[in-house]
Amino acid sequence: MAAVDISIFSLIIAILLFSIPIVLSRVYRIGLIKSLLYSAIRMSIQLVLIGFFLKYLFVWNNTILNIAWLGLMILVAVFSVIRSSSMKTNKVLIPAYISFSLATFGIVLFLNIVVIRLDYVFDARYLIVLGGMLLGNSLRGNIIGITAFYTNIKKDRKKFLYTLSLGASFNEAIFPYLRESIQLALKPTFASMATMGIVALPGMMTGVILGGTSLELAIKYQIMIMIGIVTSTITSILLTILMTLPVCFSKYGTLNQDIFV
Amino acid sequence: MISFKQIDLVYNDKKIIEQLSLDINKGDKIAILGKSGVGKSSLFYLLLGFVASYNGEVYFNNILIDGKTVWDVRKQIAFIDQDVSLGQGKAIDWIKLAFDFKCNFLQYFPEKEMDDLLEYFELSKDTLDKNIEELSGGERQRLAIITAILLNRKVFLFDEITSALDKHLKQKTVDFFIKHKEWTVIVISHDSVWLNHPKVKVFDLKEKKWRQ
Repeated sequence: MAAVDISIFSLIIAILLFSIPIVLSRVYRIGLIKSLLYSAIRMSIQLVLIGFFLKYLFVWNNTILNIAWLGLMILVAVFSVIRSSSMKTNKVLIPAYISFSLATFGIVLFLNIVVIRLDYVFDARYLIVLGGMLLGNSLRGNIIGITAFYTNIKKDRKKFLYTLSLGASFNEAIFPYLRESIQLALKPTFASMATMGIVALPGMMTGVILGGTSLELAIKYQIMIMIGIVTSTITSILLTILMTLPVCFSKYGTLNQDIFV
Repeated sequence: MISFKQIDLVYNDKKIIEQLSLDINKGDKIAILGKSGVGKSSLFYLLLGFVASYNGEVYFNNILIDGKTVWDVRKQIAFIDQDVSLGQGKAIDWIKLAFDFKCNFLQYFPEKEMDDLLEYFELSKDTLDKNIEELSGGERQRLAIITAILLNRKVFLFDEITSALDKHLKQKTVDFFIKHKEWTVIVISHDSVWLNHPKVKVFDLKEKKWRQ
């Protein structure tokens, strides 16, 4: 039992729903028609292209190509994290990329090998789809965590220096900031976990249910992916921060000012 | 025990300190004089390793300060910043923060000594239970001074720490530090109680010489 097909004509009718926000925007002068159309068009083009690529990736199902594709997805995620963190790309790109790759590949492979027990662990349907879910869902947390760590130390400059002057070791000095940034990053994830199923039916479940699989399986997959998301968020933030420390701090333990844009 | 040798410091393309040499002996009580922008605070930052790039050398007990040695040097200096960056929370927690670090770890927190100091600096004990935001500038300065003393270090760097105190308390603070002969105290201050004290040597940072 697969999901009922939607024809192109039906999809165009779905677009008619947009007339509601457009009319509302006109009447109340909210001024969102332009951004609405831009985002909608961008989304459609991206999805059509991705559908096209994925179709071939799934058909070829080539190990190297699958790994390369996930690697590319990680690169895009890393760029968007760095851009939102107002740090200089050339300073943190490599350590951040290594950290994200370790976290994403490590967890996806763990799920594929140990949990789902696939025969072919680089299967595009699992490697790319699960990897994409991990990346997409941990993106916000990563942005919040990494940005908070560096900007808080920058903002608290005097307090941070006072801590160093007290004789704190480097680890002692950064520890409160590390803790604070990870807690902040995971707050939205924990909140969505707590309401999951009641307020929101997550994408993973929706997909599996519409795909015609049993509800039990959908729930098991959802639980698995949420565990993966939390773990990959913590791992990638922590690794990224730890690996960028040598670039971002001087030997004296002070924050280098030239890492910010 | 502290010496600055031919220091050149540039910050944001501006020369802050140029060819400065200065020697400070153990037990000296020194006031640094100069208008804002002549690098008074930078002098402290150099000693504490808070500026990483400059020309020249800074020595502490004959040890050249660099990225390796600075961590030990910091453990021997009690530093209070101009803005007395106390953060948030209860006053007592802020004082105890200093003793959370491994190098300051104590078997027992010196309650008795703290009480004596509170009394000397005329703070009531319930000040400790107040939130830092509720405290006046003068109360904060006195708490910072007490913390610095409790650290049990021999070298003190004070950046404008008596500015919010009344004349009587300023005098008591100065007396307290002068009285300890073995302590080396360097202050940045506009207060005449420091500048005109017979035991305090005044260094004019702009002219780079001692005031006679």
